[in-house]
Amino acid sequence: MRRSRSVWQWRPWSKKLGRRLRTGPFRGVLGELAFYLGLIFAGVFILTLVLVAHWMVPRIGIDLPEEARVVLDSDLARGGGHHWGRWIVAIISVAAIGSGAFGLGYRLMHLGFSQERISAQKGRLSRWNAPAPPGKSDGDAGEMSQEEESKPSGEYPSLPAVPQGLALDESLGERLQYRLASVSTGRRAVLGSASLALLWNSVCVVLLAVAISGWWYGRPRPVLAMLLVPFTGVAVWALKSFLRQVRQIAGVGPTVVEISEHPLEPGGKYELFILQMGRMRLRTLRVNLVCEEESFFRQGTDVRSDQYVALSKELLVEGPVRVDPQTPWEQQLEFELPTNVMHSFCATNNSVRWRLIVSGEARPWPSFCRSFPLVVHPPLMVPPNSPR
Amino acid sequence: MNVSLCRDDATYTAGGYLRASWRVSRVSIEELSSVEVSVLWYTEGKGDEDLSVHYFRRYDGPELRQLGMVDSLPIECRLPPSPLSYRGHLLKIQWGIRVRVFVEEGREAVAEHPFYLVARKPDPDALTETSRMDLPCLDQPIKTPLHRRLPAVLRRWRARRRESAS
Repeated sequence: MRRSRSVWQWRPWSKKLGRRLRTGPFRGVLGELAFYLGLIFAGVFILTLVLVAHWMVPRIGIDLPEEARVVLDSDLARGGGHHWGRWIVAIISVAAIGSGAFGLGYRLMHLGFSQERISAQKGRLSRWNAPAPPGKSDGDAGEMSQEEESKPSGEYPSLPAVPQGLALDESLGERLQYRLASVSTGRRAVLGSASLALLWNSVCVVLLAVAISGWWYGRPRPVLAMLLVPFTGVAVWALKSFLRQVRQIAGVGPTVVEISEHPLEPGGKYELFILQMGRMRLRTLRVNLVCEEESFFRQGTDVRSDQYVALSKELLVEGPVRVDPQTPWEQQLEFELPTNVMHSFCATNNSVRWRLIVSGEARPWPSFCRSFPLVVHPPLMVPPNSPR
Repeated sequence: MNVSLCRDDATYTAGGYLRASWRVSRVSIEELSSVEVSVLWYTEGKGDEDLSVHYFRRYDGPELRQLGMVDSLPIECRLPPSPLSYRGHLLKIQWGIRVRVFVEEGREAVAEHPFYLVARKPDPDALTETSRMDLPCLDQPIKTPLHRRLPAVLRRWRARRRESAS
């Protein structure tokens, strides 16, 4: 550890290894306070400069020393000499004062507070606390308790840290009760590849025109002509990639998944209806129920994520499958969610997600994979959420 | 610092009631600045920590001196239906009672007693108000099997025999 630290001290441009906190929390707080104070001082100084240069000096008309005139005639005080320049500088300085004051106030108000107290003050205290004993004041928890006291014990208004998933089952199904919403099927990715293909090909065409005109007028540009070879290769690759994605989206028809109940509950039995449209021949078509853990963590200055499939249950494997526009492939099946599985969980940095994955291996069309998020509640906690 | 739960197995059902007690010993009341008691869950594992406080109470110095700190002080709260305790590959959800003691001169000490929050059993009577008031702990204690209780029973029986013989 000592070795890596000494190496890092000589190479400050590289990432530091080991623990990033080299100082105690007290120095961190001091640094934060110094930053906010600096922000306020800088804002006050610049705002004063603008106000003095614009309002006070012309009205009072006092003789200022040469050094003061240099400062008041500077670009910063005049806002670059533009009409709106000094107003922009004034607004920026007011924003700096405001953000510095807010940050300083927030930091000072929470100075010496424990992690639990900050979390409790953020209003995250649950409404599930028990009623406080009579005659005792219980702070925030006591107020919540009185509200809770009026509710029947069997009512569950919300499940903390469980995603509500209101958008997942808001549309009604034709065969079963809910039609599940699918996550993005690559339509945004096709926009990116379309932009890349368009821009790169345009640049290539312009460069090609320049090169040809150079040859035509007797001023050849051999370097440009040589550069055009790799440029054209990239342009062809971008065009091919765009066409492949278009074929993937247009060729594989929509997938419809309907479910008899939602949210799900461990140990429950559910019916599932799957409909695949389009025109294709699939070697295999799979429907999997997947539970995935996802964690976000900071590594250095980067935020990384990691996924782990905690449970994967194969609900259906069928092949070969032929799909025609007149006769779409459809299947209705029943499945049971295993007992003793974790419910859906969603926090800032960690989550447990459930989803149905419909994947098909197709020829000559590319294979596809579509994901339908589900919400699994803790057992016996399903609130009534039926649109019918 | 000592935190004791009303259940030996430290397992509570979601939506049930938690009753526990805490005590700070070997520190005089004059030295204590404040004490914070919280029931919370937090995550452990590969990802950054998530923390949520379900119950929080802060005892300031005068309140502590008024209470006397002779006996254990109670914690009573109704537990939420979620998130349940979980031990996964990337993350672990841990419930616990955390007691943070602030001593004069800005020093602090933390004690934590973990417990498990498990799925609610299909027992509607467990949440009635009347039973909550009558019973010291609403969650039905899990009956220990005979093979686990046997050594303790034998020990007691031998102790009684020895006493009667003497």
